[in-house]
Amino acid sequence: MNFDFAQREQKLFKELNDIMLEMAGEKNLEEKDPDNAEKSLRESLSRLAETSYLKLGIVLDENIPGLCGMMGAMEIVSSFSQSLYLSVEMSTRLFGRIVSTFGNKEQKKKWLLPVLYGKKLGAVALSEKSMNIDNDPMTTSGVRENGFIKISGAKNYVINGPIADFTAVAGIIENKPAIFVIEKGAKGLITGKQLATMGYDGLPISGLEFDECRINECEVIGPFEDKSTFDTLRMWENQIIIGGSLGMMKASFESAKAYAKTHKTGGKPIIAYQEVAFKLAEMLTLFQTSQLFAYRAAWAADAGSRESEVLTYCAKVFCTEAAENVSGSALRILSGEGYLSGNAAERAYRCAKYGQIAGTSTEIARVKIGDAALGA
Amino acid sequence: MDFDFTKEQLMFKQEVIRFAKKEIVPRVQEHDLKGEFDFESFRKLGEFGILGLHFPEELGGGGADVITTVLAGEALGEAGVDGGLTLAYGAHTFLCADTIFRHGTEAQRQKYIPKLASGESIGCMGLTEPDAGSDVASMTTSAEKKGDKYVLNGNKMFITNGPIADVAVVYAKTQPELQHAGISAFVVEKGTKGFSAGPSLIKMGVRTSHTSELIFQNCEIPAENLLGKEGDGFLMAMQTVEWDRSALLAPFVGSATYLLKKCAQYAKGRVQFGRPIGQFQATKHKLADIRIFGEAARSLVYRIAWCKDQGRPLNHLEAAVAKLYVGDWSMAPTFDAVLIHGGYGYCHEYDVERIFRDSRLAPIGGGTSDIQKMIISKLM
Repeated sequence: MNFDFAQREQKLFKELNDIMLEMAGEKNLEEKDPDNAEKSLRESLSRLAETSYLKLGIVLDENIPGLCGMMGAMEIVSSFSQSLYLSVEMSTRLFGRIVSTFGNKEQKKKWLLPVLYGKKLGAVALSEKSMNIDNDPMTTSGVRENGFIKISGAKNYVINGPIADFTAVAGIIENKPAIFVIEKGAKGLITGKQLATMGYDGLPISGLEFDECRINECEVIGPFEDKSTFDTLRMWENQIIIGGSLGMMKASFESAKAYAKTHKTGGKPIIAYQEVAFKLAEMLTLFQTSQLFAYRAAWAADAGSRESEVLTYCAKVFCTEAAENVSGSALRILSGEGYLSGNAAERAYRCAKYGQIAGTSTEIARVKIGDAALGA
Repeated sequence: MDFDFTKEQLMFKQEVIRFAKKEIVPRVQEHDLKGEFDFESFRKLGEFGILGLHFPEELGGGGADVITTVLAGEALGEAGVDGGLTLAYGAHTFLCADTIFRHGTEAQRQKYIPKLASGESIGCMGLTEPDAGSDVASMTTSAEKKGDKYVLNGNKMFITNGPIADVAVVYAKTQPELQHAGISAFVVEKGTKGFSAGPSLIKMGVRTSHTSELIFQNCEIPAENLLGKEGDGFLMAMQTVEWDRSALLAPFVGSATYLLKKCAQYAKGRVQFGRPIGQFQATKHKLADIRIFGEAARSLVYRIAWCKDQGRPLNHLEAAVAKLYVGDWSMAPTFDAVLIHGGYGYCHEYDVERIFRDSRLAPIGGGTSDIQKMIISKLM
């Protein structure tokens, strides 16, 4: 047992914190204007590539932290900007991991390396209009034709969809699950309008349509024998959401704590009132419990524990609900200050809801945890 | 980071579960219903080595590390041992015996620890008073030095094992004007003139542990019964927090696992509307919440234990976070368990009713949740 982060992890955390602080000082990391947001995102990717952050969970090297360290690092990036965090994670941790785990040597060279070096941006298209990935069949499909694959279908809510250089599209080919990698500008790839969302102000997100979109056979990852590959993708997505939730809690808590120590009423800082102090104590309790939960689930995944899947579901439910709770409490402490757009707690509160519906939704996760208890 | 236990630690945990299921659990419900302390189980805990697990072997202990000791507590909860017995064990081993072990002279250790480790003697700790709970410094029990004796006067309240204890570690003021710094700790033996225990209090839960008042009326004890130095008492009491936030919380973690198994078993067998209730999503959600609580609490508790094994000073903020989380959040799973069992859950026949009552102590005992919030908010 060891509850400490190793030196290499501490080093990465410091590097990340310094870079994020610097970037936050230079620009608005939640930039809403699509052009500026893309420029900012690509610059940020290059900066993050100076550290081992983009390689976490992908490159196995003794100098690169494992999944516990990945969680700690995710918390730092997310605490500065949830939009930047999610864009980077969907590109690197989800798209990158797909190519790294399931792709062949050529595919890795073509798609993975540019993503790991922060030069290109990836996206992953999973959800469909009538699809719950756990229960319903996927409709996006590919057909072989003259050495090419012709893809038809549509995907919803694709993060980085409007700007990604490479998009991994989950679909079916010859009745088997597969992943089609479509490069930006491919014929038949129709990018929908950027969607306006409740949170994640600067996040490029859209639907994608594939109108007989043609790719080369070598741009297919798979096909796979069963859909367990997509389950793996969901678990990776869940890890991203867990890490993001930690960052939201950190940002909200720190914002509320700083305010409570400096804002005075009745001649004393509001933290001197038990109503405020105790609320902060509850927030910190949820935050610290979430951190340990996230680290343990990540550790279990790293160790290949058979409990890993259910622990990840448990951690996801706990951390995403705690994120809403903590950011909501922060808003009450911050009062009018927190209600202003741009406050860390206000932003986190709007983003927190996403964590409960994305990846394995809170409801589905609870069913799966219950099934595990029942031995189903 | 590494959240794994050693193979030996896990094997030991399984042994404790097997032992407890066979030797203790069969009598739990009966004793709870009668509100009786189970002396036989307590003796068996001693025989098995749990009561003195972390003490050195030369004092009759098992020489175990803190993690192993905490795992034993978790195992008791996981086996289905009631909160009354685990509370009695906690008060005996960690609040009484460990204080003597840590702060006593070699003579005091030799005199008390072997008997406490074996269960031949039962220990308790007297800190709380009728008008001094969380506010320890306002205690009024006094200890006046007279020659080679101390004379104790005052009352202690809500003392676990009070009516059955052979040895009590008692906190009293030797210099009242110094507040915290004027508190000292003493060992008081059963039968000492002027020392008595009140009748066992009737409680909502943890009924198999006996709780009472301790009364000191011109109670004379030898001066050599002072633990450590005069004025060290408050620090000694605070040091028990390390155990309180690890070993004493561990049974709640184990109990969540026990509840989950019991509820899953019931949900698989109980058929309504033509199918087992476990097939309904609402039931699965409750099972999930029980599991989530247990997993969330586990790491908090083991973090405190691990730090203690590393010889680190207690991080009071982390300790308070662990206590607050387990205290406040441990009640919901027991409520869910009762709901899953429906009418049966409301009856004593199914032990979820007892576990529900036992869990009510979690946000009160060992420092209320409000006190934990006070600590956290001061340290943050």
